[in-house]
Amino acid sequence: MGDFQVTLNRKPRYVIEDRCTGCTTCVEYCPVEYPDQFNQEISENKAVHIFFAQAIPLIAYIDESCLYLKEKKCRICENVCKADAIDLGQKAQKMEIKVAAIVLATGYDTYDPSLKNEYGYGRMTNVVTSMDFERLLCATGPYEGEILRASDRKHPHKIAWIQCVGSRRVTPGDNSYCSAVCCSYTQKQVILTKDHDADAKLTVFHNDIRSYGKDFERYYQRAEELSDVRFIRSYTTVSREDPETKNVFVRYATADDGVQEEEFDMVVLSVGLNPPADYQGLADKFGIELTEHGFCLASPTNPIETTSPGVYVCGAFQGPMDIPESVYTASGAGTQCGELLNYRRGELTRERVYPAEKDVSQEKPKIGVFVCHCGSNIGRVVDVPSTVEYALSLPNVVYAQEQLFSCATNSAREITDTIKEKGLNRVVVAACSPRTLEPLFRDTLREAGLNQYYYDMANIREHCSWCHSKEKEESTNKAQDIIRMSVARAGHLKPLQEMDLPVNKAALVVGGGIAGMTSALSMANQGHEIHLVEKENDLGGMARRLHYTLDGLDVQGYLDGLVRQVYRHPAIHVYTNAEVTEATGYVGNFVTKLSSDRGPSEIKHGATVVAVGVDVYTPTEYLYGQDERVLTHLELEERISQGDEAVTGAQTLVMIQCVGCRNKDRNYCSRVCCSESIKNALKLKEINPEMDIYILFRDIRTYGMLEDYYREASAKDVKFIRYEPENPPQVEAAEEEGRPVLQVSLMDYVLGQELAIGADIVTLAAAVIPREDNKDISQLFKVSLGPDDFFKEAHVKLRPVDFATDGVYLCGTAHYPKHIPEAINQAYGAAGRALTLLSNDIVTVSGSVCEVAEDRCMGCGACAQVCTYGAIEFRKTKKGQKAVVNPVICKGDGLCNAKCPTGAIFLKHFTDDELLSQIDAMSATA
Amino acid sequence: METETAQLLKIPADGNYGDVMVLGGGISGIQASLDLATAGYKVYLVEKSPAIGGHMSQLDKTYPTNDCSM
Amino acid sequence: MGRTVENVADYKEIVEVIKDNGGDAFKLCFQCGLCDTVCPWNRVRDFSMRKIVRQATFGFTDIESEDIWRCTTCGLCPSRCPRDVKQIESGVALRRIATEYGVFPTAVKPIRTISGSLMGEGNPLSEERKDRAKWAEGLGVKTFSQEMEILYFPGCYLSYDQRLKKVAKATAQVLKAAGVDFGILGEKESCCGESIRKTGDEDVFRRLAKENIKNFIDAGVKKILVSSPHCYHTFKNEYPEFMVNFEVVHITQYLLELIQQGRLEIKEEYRKKITYHDPCYLGRHNGIYDEPRQVLAGVPGLELAEMPDCLEASLCCGGGGGRIWMETPKGERFSDLRLQQAMDLEAQVLVTACPYCITNFEDSRLTVDNGESVEVKDISEIVQEVI
Repeated sequence: MGDFQVTLNRKPRYVIEDRCTGCTTCVEYCPVEYPDQFNQEISENKAVHIFFAQAIPLIAYIDESCLYLKEKKCRICENVCKADAIDLGQKAQKMEIKVAAIVLATGYDTYDPSLKNEYGYGRMTNVVTSMDFERLLCATGPYEGEILRASDRKHPHKIAWIQCVGSRRVTPGDNSYCSAVCCSYTQKQVILTKDHDADAKLTVFHNDIRSYGKDFERYYQRAEELSDVRFIRSYTTVSREDPETKNVFVRYATADDGVQEEEFDMVVLSVGLNPPADYQGLADKFGIELTEHGFCLASPTNPIETTSPGVYVCGAFQGPMDIPESVYTASGAGTQCGELLNYRRGELTRERVYPAEKDVSQEKPKIGVFVCHCGSNIGRVVDVPSTVEYALSLPNVVYAQEQLFSCATNSAREITDTIKEKGLNRVVVAACSPRTLEPLFRDTLREAGLNQYYYDMANIREHCSWCHSKEKEESTNKAQDIIRMSVARAGHLKPLQEMDLPVNKAALVVGGGIAGMTSALSMANQGHEIHLVEKENDLGGMARRLHYTLDGLDVQGYLDGLVRQVYRHPAIHVYTNAEVTEATGYVGNFVTKLSSDRGPSEIKHGATVVAVGVDVYTPTEYLYGQDERVLTHLELEERISQGDEAVTGAQTLVMIQCVGCRNKDRNYCSRVCCSESIKNALKLKEINPEMDIYILFRDIRTYGMLEDYYREASAKDVKFIRYEPENPPQVEAAEEEGRPVLQVSLMDYVLGQELAIGADIVTLAAAVIPREDNKDISQLFKVSLGPDDFFKEAHVKLRPVDFATDGVYLCGTAHYPKHIPEAINQAYGAAGRALTLLSNDIVTVSGSVCEVAEDRCMGCGACAQVCTYGAIEFRKTKKGQKAVVNPVICKGDGLCNAKCPTGAIFLKHFTDDELLSQIDAMSATA
Repeated sequence: METETAQLLKIPADGNYGDVMVLGGGISGIQASLDLATAGYKVYLVEKSPAIGGHMSQLDKTYPTNDCSM
Repeated sequence: MGRTVENVADYKEIVEVIKDNGGDAFKLCFQCGLCDTVCPWNRVRDFSMRKIVRQATFGFTDIESEDIWRCTTCGLCPSRCPRDVKQIESGVALRRIATEYGVFPTAVKPIRTISGSLMGEGNPLSEERKDRAKWAEGLGVKTFSQEMEILYFPGCYLSYDQRLKKVAKATAQVLKAAGVDFGILGEKESCCGESIRKTGDEDVFRRLAKENIKNFIDAGVKKILVSSPHCYHTFKNEYPEFMVNFEVVHITQYLLELIQQGRLEIKEEYRKKITYHDPCYLGRHNGIYDEPRQVLAGVPGLELAEMPDCLEASLCCGGGGGRIWMETPKGERFSDLRLQQAMDLEAQVLVTACPYCITNFEDSRLTVDNGESVEVKDISEIVQEVI
């Protein structure tokens, strides 16, 4: 631990990285064509090529198919490269690197269906994998974003998806676990295919639909409700290929109509996730243990920690997971490295240095326009060359050019170089949304010594080529309009300064459950004062009601240990029976007021972690509250752990899933209930093997490794019966051979038979619901809630534990229902993100904030009323009360601008001047 | 580890001496590297293919928002 | 069943009975329907293995229905089943119960006669035990003795059936040509018992097996050559239940071995387009796909074409699981479909290596339009023609 020496073998690229400009001249001239790996070998690429259009680094490399490397022939690339970047003599290089910690983020491999004859992959041309299909959908894919069949280059019109390929199967060569992502990615592919071809007829053949993640249920409904989209519950056989048309025949079975054979133009295999191919090699090299499936073995109380000290694991090597989990486990690995290496933080790093900023405010505008093709996203619709010509005709434009991907490293460098070379003092990039790429382009200006606010972005993708891709000529005209407007605005832009703020090193954690405590401990271990606020009398949260987990964790024992650690930690201050009464301040400098067992407190802190947890639904269905034999699953677990014989001695027990969610009131899946019910069923079977247990479900959502427990429950004779929401089970008190029972009746769709079960106990998988006070918390801390009242992260994929409000982070079930190991993963993730703020002494805030022209302000207060962030205060002056904006709190949303009756308050970078010039340019024809 | 190419995320300091090595340059490895670097550590990010991005760079869009994957 | 409500508690005992008879794996089913999509029955009529499994899970099995007798034990659904429901073993459990109660639907009634004949004469064909070696008359085939290289076990159909006796003869001639020192058990040979076991009659199977094992041991048998994949399967995989282990070799494997060792020389050409049908018990059940193809590939002039459902996905002839003894109406015979596949390829000969397959294909030749345009042959008949 703390001292690893790693030997790397650096493969030769045969291209000198510092010299290659990514111009791709060599690619043009290279005579060798071979299947392009990035495009799943559907299309060809050259022996020398750039891995993919937006690759980082965006430079060429030479593959082993090169004629020179194979036969010492050719060398054309050497001759055509103007940068002299080709070096065919490069050799593999051994590197010795010493580090103190290692993070394994090796990801996954996709299941290879060609290993099994049954899927026809490799035998039938129009059977593709879901990864192949991703490339077919993509603008940078093999057919530039057209979905085409390899057999005849025609658009497939009738497409079938086959789910669980390689997953949820105990057959040799397959994985018994569920790959956790395929149901949703298939729905995505269905939705996107309909975007490509509105008349396409699409069918998904599936088993359970596992929409267990945040907003997945709505997404599933969105896909299912599209016209000509069918979801059919059946596994299938790819039976044959038509020798003439190369269409593929699929056989499927439904309880109503028996077996049908249907013809499709294309079949997509929704392949699952395998551990990385070299998992054994990784285990040997890093001394880590693996699970039986080849994933990294970790403890349920810390899924990021491997069995080898100093080696951490994040992403899909933990097990199949979606992007947000990959992101927050990465941040979690970051904080755990931090706990290990806090003593040496900052010793090896250096600040990035920009050139000094030139003052160009007195110069006449000299605008440069860069028009991006975005591969074919824009270029396929908008006539880019003529748009460049057009831009050159605009006032103040002194330079214009086109770029394939403006966001690529070399293109960004080109912009910087051009600014310097041509003496530009304003830049317009006509490309995509500023939301994603504005920071990158602003950086290119800083690199050239220009103030970054001299930049404007013309969105000709989302606002133009994507929304009317069929009308090419009109789109070109519109792109030119948008650019003309941007250029007009650019002429009025002012240089703005960003502000550096000090960072208070303390953090506030709201919520003392497992997530809150885990997050608090990780930050405290890195020397930060932590104020941990708990609403209840005791720490522990919802976990207080849990007693055991599927992977054998003693929850109460674990919890007691965690609580003890928290109380013993000198840097953690616990506030119980606490309520937040006021929260003010801004990133790095929050002030929060509490009332608690300690009395009233005022806490200054740099970061906030929201980990307030969830509640459980109180059912009104199935006689709950009327008959004491009807329990929620949490009550069942409590009774089991108390050894209540009414429960453990029951002859027959029925569990009903999806009570209070997946319905109109709560249109989401509570994620944990399927596994919780199976957990309780297995526990009961362990205590009383004779008990008859029935689980009545809609879809069994034991995603990932949990699938193995579903099978185990079947093997232990737990019976699973599926019901449809339109026809839910009926529960009534009755007698069975003199024994009072709760009679549960429902339809079994495979049997086509109504069943009756005489149960002693009925338990309900009551929904996990957001806490009632979520709204208050969200208002206090100026963060938002999603449609189901769970807290809403900044970006569902890429910023899963950040809030849009800087300095506030999110973890645990407050984000969405989740299992304990997932909450722990996320808690470390939130700590990791908070550390990126807390470990720095300053934080920089935007220059685009509001300001008040005092002479025009009447002090009416309208602006302060609408400000979401509380950024406006009033100050008494000689001329009366005037509004003042705290630029640190202001988020630049401009709400106040609209309310101000005199136009006194204005948003910098979006001034009337700037916007009106833009609007004027819209109506003016060129 | 015969097949990996190494790449330095931060400015190379003295010799091949760093705080953390991140193995794998997909979304998880990139996030881990960025967070660690921002929090003051020197990171070696090691990726076996010629560019970082991993599987996510091969995806067209992401669910459930249909955001661009790139 | 219709609208009535069934109380699951009423069937609890039946579930236990099914389990005790070997149907424990039914409970693993998660009703994905994959078995139904691969089942050859659904190419000729509606049939749901999934429903049989689901019924058995709850004890709702209708033991009087013909459905529990349909499975030909072809092995396709268990080879794909994601939950390892073991449809063959589990299905046999249901048949055991029906056999125990003596409930046989009309199509299955012949089983009674069959098991009588097996008990009395050691064969299912109502032939006499003493005639078992008649096929070998005039061929100079010896009775097996200890010092011999190998025991040839032709099995019931090759011993008695008019068509299949030709296969036994061809095999004996090939073995002689290769100079193999082999012998047969003659009257001491009994049915291997594989198929009667699949009908749920464990008693008869055990008797036949014990009888054979006793005679193998008495004669000092170590290595057994079989022509039927069904004999192969039970000798290799089921007789070890009786704590014996004989070396078992199928004729397709042995032919290849003889050719590779140079003991058998292929001299003649065979200028025909042929296709090879993988018998279920040779391919799917025992993984023997390459050997027969290699033997055929070594015949000069022979053109081998593959049918659509080949190798692991081979389409069953319909004869396994005791179905060879049951009446299957015209229009529901898998062998008709298979013959048609061979005809669609314009194959002149449909070659296989199983007596049931040959029996069913020969029947189909007579009933399928233009069926006689295809010859049906055992692989040993082809080899016999070219040496």
